[in-house]
Amino acid sequence: MTDTSTVAPGPAVWSRARRRTKEARDQEFTAFVEAAGTRLRRSAYLMCRDWHLAQDLTQHTLAKMYASWDRVRTSASVEAYSRRVLMNVVFDQQRRHSGSEIVLADLPDRPDAGTTGAPELRVTLVDALARLDVRDRAVLVLRHAEDHSVETVAAILGLSVSAVKMRNARALERLRAQLGEDFLNR
Amino acid sequence: MDGHLRDRFEQATAGDPGAPPGELALAAITEGGRIRRRRHRLVAAGVAAGLVLAAGGLTAANLPWGAADRTATPPVTIAAAMVPVSAPSCSQSPVEDHATDLAVFLATEATDRQRDAVAAAVRDDARVDAVVFESRAEAYQRFATLWADSPDFVAAINADDLPESFRLRLTDPEHDAALRARFAAMPGVAQILGHRCPTDAPVGGLR
Repeated sequence: MTDTSTVAPGPAVWSRARRRTKEARDQEFTAFVEAAGTRLRRSAYLMCRDWHLAQDLTQHTLAKMYASWDRVRTSASVEAYSRRVLMNVVFDQQRRHSGSEIVLADLPDRPDAGTTGAPELRVTLVDALARLDVRDRAVLVLRHAEDHSVETVAAILGLSVSAVKMRNARALERLRAQLGEDFLNR
Repeated sequence: MDGHLRDRFEQATAGDPGAPPGELALAAITEGGRIRRRRHRLVAAGVAAGLVLAAGGLTAANLPWGAADRTATPPVTIAAAMVPVSAPSCSQSPVEDHATDLAVFLATEATDRQRDAVAAAVRDDARVDAVVFESRAEAYQRFATLWADSPDFVAAINADDLPESFRLRLTDPEHDAALRARFAAMPGVAQILGHRCPTDAPVGGLR
C-alpha cells in the first residue's frame, strides 16, 4: 500500500488485492475439499460404480463449485449444495453417455476391476444400485449412504418430499428383490 | 434397520483407493479457474452471467434449501426465477396432500412419446376434472411476463430451458395421493406440485 504513490495508482493495487482474495478463497476452498472430498468421491462411486470415473466426477463437481465459490460459500449449506452439483454432474454424464447406461445395466459376470479381492457383498450392492433408475439411485445414496433427511434429499434433488419417499420405497423394494430379504432385515 | 443399511453402504465403498485431498483441491482450482475466466470473457462479451449459470447445470447457490425458508424473499437467481409461481387465490406454498390442483412437470429431456403417454393418462383418468397443457412456448411467455422488469434473466433463458407441464384440477382432493403416485411413476415426469385452490382459480394452481 505504501508504495502506490510512486506507481500508477490502480492496477498494481488491484492485482495485489485480487491476489490476496484468491489466496483466501483457495485456502477456504481447500479446507472444504479436505472435509468433504472423500465423502463426495464415495457417493460418486456409488452412483457410477467406477472409482476412476468417480474421481473425475468429483473433480468436475469441485471445479464448478470453485468457479462460483464466492456465491457458494455464503449459501445455507455448502455440503448440501455440493451434493446437488454432484448429482447434476452425474445426471449430465449419464445423459451424454447413455450408451454406458446399458453397460451398467448389464449383469456383471466379472469382478469389478477397481476393487481387488472385493467380498461378494461389495460387488452386489453397487451392482444392484447400478440397475436402478439414476434418480432412484441418487435418493438411496443421499438418504442411506450419506444419512440426509428426506427433506434435505428433496431439496438437493429438486423433488417433492413425497416423491423422495416414493422413490426411496420403490428403490429399496428393488434392492430387496435383487439382494434378498436379509439384505435389509438382518 | 436404517443403521444396518448404512453399514452396507459403508462397506460398499471400502475399496476406495483414496486420493490426497490437497491434489483434488488443486486440480479443482485449476479447472474451476478456467471456468471462471471463460465466464468473465462471456460476461465481457455481453452475455448475461445467468446464462453461464444455467448452462453449467448449477442451480442457485442462494436458493433456500427447505420449503419452510421460502417465506423470506429469496435473492433472485435464474433457478429461483424459474420456480413456478402459485396462483394468488391458491395456497402459496405447494402442499403435500389433499391438493385440489396438480401441476405435472415433464423433464426437459422427455420424449414426445413419453409426453403423449402422460397426456393420455391425465385425459383418460376419471379422477381428473380438467386438464390444461402448458407448452414450452407458453411457459416462456409466462416467464417473460413475470420477469419483464429483469430483461437479463429473460434474455438468459430460452423456451427449451423451461419444462412442459400438465395442469390438472381433481374431482376430489381425496384422489391427490393416488394421482401423484400414478403420474410420478411415469417416465418423463420430473416433478409434481400440488396446491389447494378455490374453483375459480386457474387450473393447476399456478400463475
